[in-house]
Amino acid sequence: MTEKKKTYIEDIERTLYDIKDEDRSVYKAHSGLTEDVVRDISTRKHEPQWMLDFRLKSLDVYNSLELPTWGPSLDELHMDDIVTYVQPDAKMTGSWEEVPEDIKDTFDRLGIPEAEKTSLGGVGAQYDSEVVYHSIQEDMVKQGVIYTDMETAVREHEDIVKEYFMTLVPPKDHKFAALHGAVWSGGSFVYVPAGVHVEMPLQSYFRLNAAGAGQFEHTLIIVEPGASLHFIEGCSAPKHNVTNLHAGCVELFVKDGARLRYSTIENWSRNMMNLNTKRALVEKDGIIEWVSGSFGSHISCLYPCSVLHGENARCEFTGVTFASKGQNLDTGASVIHAAPHTSANINTRTISKAGGMATYRSAVKVTKNAPFAKCSVNCESLMLDNLSRSDTLPVMDIEGDEADIGHEAKIGRISDEAIFYLTSRGIDEEEARAMIVRGFVEPIAKELPLEYALEMNNLVNIELEGTIG
Amino acid sequence: MAEKLLEIKDLHAGVEDKEILKGLNLSVNKGEVHVILGPNGSGKSTLMNIIMGHPKYQVTSGTMEFEGEDMSGLKTFERARKGLFLSFQTPEEIPGITVENMIRTAKQTITGDKVKLVPFRKELKAQMQELKMKPEYAQRYMNVGFSGGEKKRNEILQLLMLQPKLALLDETDSGLDVDAVQIVSEGVAKFHNENNSCLIITHNTRILEKLKVDKVHVLMNGQIVEEGGAELIEDINSRGFTHILDAQNEAK
Amino acid sequence: MDDKIFSEIPMRTWRWLGVNEARVPENLSDNVKKQQILVEAGQKDEVVLVNREGSQLEVQVHIADGGELHLVNAQLVPADTAVTSRVKVYVGKGAKFSYTTVEAGARHTAAELTVDMAGDDSVSDIWGLYFGDGESKIDLNYVIRQKGRRTDANMQVRGALLGKSEKIFRGTLDFLEGSKGSVGRENEEVVLLSPQVRNRSVPVMLSHEDDVDGHHAVSVGKIDEGKLFYLMSRGLDMADAQRLIVEASFNPVIDRINDEALKEEIDKVLMGRLVNG
Repeated sequence: MTEKKKTYIEDIERTLYDIKDEDRSVYKAHSGLTEDVVRDISTRKHEPQWMLDFRLKSLDVYNSLELPTWGPSLDELHMDDIVTYVQPDAKMTGSWEEVPEDIKDTFDRLGIPEAEKTSLGGVGAQYDSEVVYHSIQEDMVKQGVIYTDMETAVREHEDIVKEYFMTLVPPKDHKFAALHGAVWSGGSFVYVPAGVHVEMPLQSYFRLNAAGAGQFEHTLIIVEPGASLHFIEGCSAPKHNVTNLHAGCVELFVKDGARLRYSTIENWSRNMMNLNTKRALVEKDGIIEWVSGSFGSHISCLYPCSVLHGENARCEFTGVTFASKGQNLDTGASVIHAAPHTSANINTRTISKAGGMATYRSAVKVTKNAPFAKCSVNCESLMLDNLSRSDTLPVMDIEGDEADIGHEAKIGRISDEAIFYLTSRGIDEEEARAMIVRGFVEPIAKELPLEYALEMNNLVNIELEGTIG
Repeated sequence: MAEKLLEIKDLHAGVEDKEILKGLNLSVNKGEVHVILGPNGSGKSTLMNIIMGHPKYQVTSGTMEFEGEDMSGLKTFERARKGLFLSFQTPEEIPGITVENMIRTAKQTITGDKVKLVPFRKELKAQMQELKMKPEYAQRYMNVGFSGGEKKRNEILQLLMLQPKLALLDETDSGLDVDAVQIVSEGVAKFHNENNSCLIITHNTRILEKLKVDKVHVLMNGQIVEEGGAELIEDINSRGFTHILDAQNEAK
Repeated sequence: MDDKIFSEIPMRTWRWLGVNEARVPENLSDNVKKQQILVEAGQKDEVVLVNREGSQLEVQVHIADGGELHLVNAQLVPADTAVTSRVKVYVGKGAKFSYTTVEAGARHTAAELTVDMAGDDSVSDIWGLYFGDGESKIDLNYVIRQKGRRTDANMQVRGALLGKSEKIFRGTLDFLEGSKGSVGRENEEVVLLSPQVRNRSVPVMLSHEDDVDGHHAVSVGKIDEGKLFYLMSRGLDMADAQRLIVEASFNPVIDRINDEALKEEIDKVLMGRLVNG
């Protein structure tokens, strides 16, 4: 019999993610949030006046709003200690050769340049507050596809940005949306013209290296009528002893008959407060597909929202959350049916272990304007021990009578009989548990791009070592 | 001289405080087919689970040997790797694990060798065809949404693919229609040869039609109370179990 | 006074959904009816409470080890009246609490049910029915806390909404640490019968114990058209067919009431309003 690995969560192999680079930033804003900091960021970015005004107005809103009264406690977040802007010593470039060696090494380890060669149509890479690399295949450009960092977009595609920027997630939405409006930096801008199908996915990777910093990238995607796109977002950070904050914002505009798939594997380190806001506006016959994996961070509040605004608009949400020791992951989805014949499917799996807390939170709203709305929600939770917590809190709010809404949730543990069945076939207990957990998340894994599915499997394996023995 | 495969001596075992097997003796040689008969609640399924090492049951005394080796310290998966196989009365549904993945993983752990995908798939497909299972079932999740008959066929498929030394068949034929029993019994007959053995719990004689039964044991109240050849099946079928109990009481 | 909170959901969520708290209804009478029910160890009892006037009902129930209680709580107050009901239940070891509740009247009703399944092997079997029409508001908050080992909780709620009625149903199964081997089931089925209704359903499941088996489900929608068509093909008109289907969904709750006269009274109220709605 082979000796069992006794890995504990503290010693988990996160080497790949945990290598911190030396902090060689050329500029850091003062910690805390003041008007000076906001003005400073805007000046450094050479922004037009309207954007500075937008930032300052957002700051006012931020100061006037209270923290949410629900969800995980945010007591550990001290905004006065957070550095909102960290400019790396690198200029945005379209060639990996020009990316400084140590930063390039980081992305090499994460496999980004390699993936670009084999399976992606374009790549963006953000390091701390600024995007350091952006590139897209030539033929995409010829078809009019724009994929660039947000700063460039503000300069070169000002009209489009002005029309859409933070209209779907207005700063007054909640305190962290306001914060984002005031100090946003970096992120990706994608514009797909009508009828264009982007065959290979575009991927933006966000890496936060500096300790005690915040990352506030803004992602704005517009998919014009009849067009389609698969966008992948990856995030990670090395572990620091101080709290880092991520308050990104994603705004997706899916026009008539367009289709957008937005995949995320989030693996922030365990000192991260991940308070991210993602929203999609879907027009007639449009489809938004979310694939969302939440593995990292200390605290997460993440509920991608789909506003089904046009007739027949559709949302498919697939999510997996794995909360381990020291993690409180509050995740889910919301859907607003605002037009007739809109439909949504929400399918999630949550796992909690070693004292981790996982919450599934959702809202399904059917407005008066949405007769024949259809929505089905299925969420399953698996608890691997009784130190952990798993909560499910869905709300359905339906106006009118022409709706068909179903919700189902399950909570439980790995059954002893399933373990016995697998071990009776010669599979050892540890592997049997891992197989069952992998099987549990399989419906989600199969929605992910292959390399991400593999990464997710690795993460599940890493997380599971230490559950037995 | 026949080679001993399984030897159980004076086995006492049960669950929590309740003793279910009360001094059971059983011996199976290589190449033999044994049948266990007994009324409901006599401990037949418990015996199968205990041979396979189900953690829910405790062995309080007695010995179990497989190929002359004491099994008491062995975990379930170690017993499987030594060549034991249990066809479950109610096979578990395991979402997310495909039939193919399940059998391939099991085969790999049992043989200790990497199982190459292409030849494995070919063999799996052939065996499934014999069991009249649709090929797409290889990619379906283990027993999820399978009918009773499909679940049992899936058990026999694993039996054929994993080629154990001793097959424990716990009412593999129960709840099946005539055709399904036919398919399942052909599968078992195909599996059996002079190098392996079967220990079968059944209420149905049809599964035995294609097999030469070497020995029949009657299990009542946690003990083997009567042993004999294939003719004992006929006897029980026509007269039931009570006369055996009466005969026993008389002897006392 | 109007804004006073009557009952709170065990875990808060987004404010814009308006489900975090149930408020004290407007124009609630000061008339408080208190009731204490004690079921001694090993005893079996049935208590029927019928509210026909619109008071504040406060019930405390203690079921000692091995005891059994079936509590019927029928709210049949006039359609222009406000009413509240608060029921707190302690369930001892091996004890069983059966609850059948009908919310059939009132302009505004708020009801809270809290069941503490403190004893090992305790059972609770909760069946509720609500019916909203006109401009009625129904605001419900049921919580079952499973503390003992091997507890078994079942919460089944059926409802129908007509007119411009609004309803919030919060149903919580809370598996506390130590509730090993417990099972919990919760199911709400709502039939929507008018384009002006608003239905909010909040099935909450909280777990601090891995060795549990929890399941909840909600279904909200119109009357099944297949069923309607089937009945109409047998000669029933639309209204009759609808009534029959709604009645069928209510029956599992109403059938639990042993008092035939009360059963008839409830049936009359519900069916009368269903026809007028």
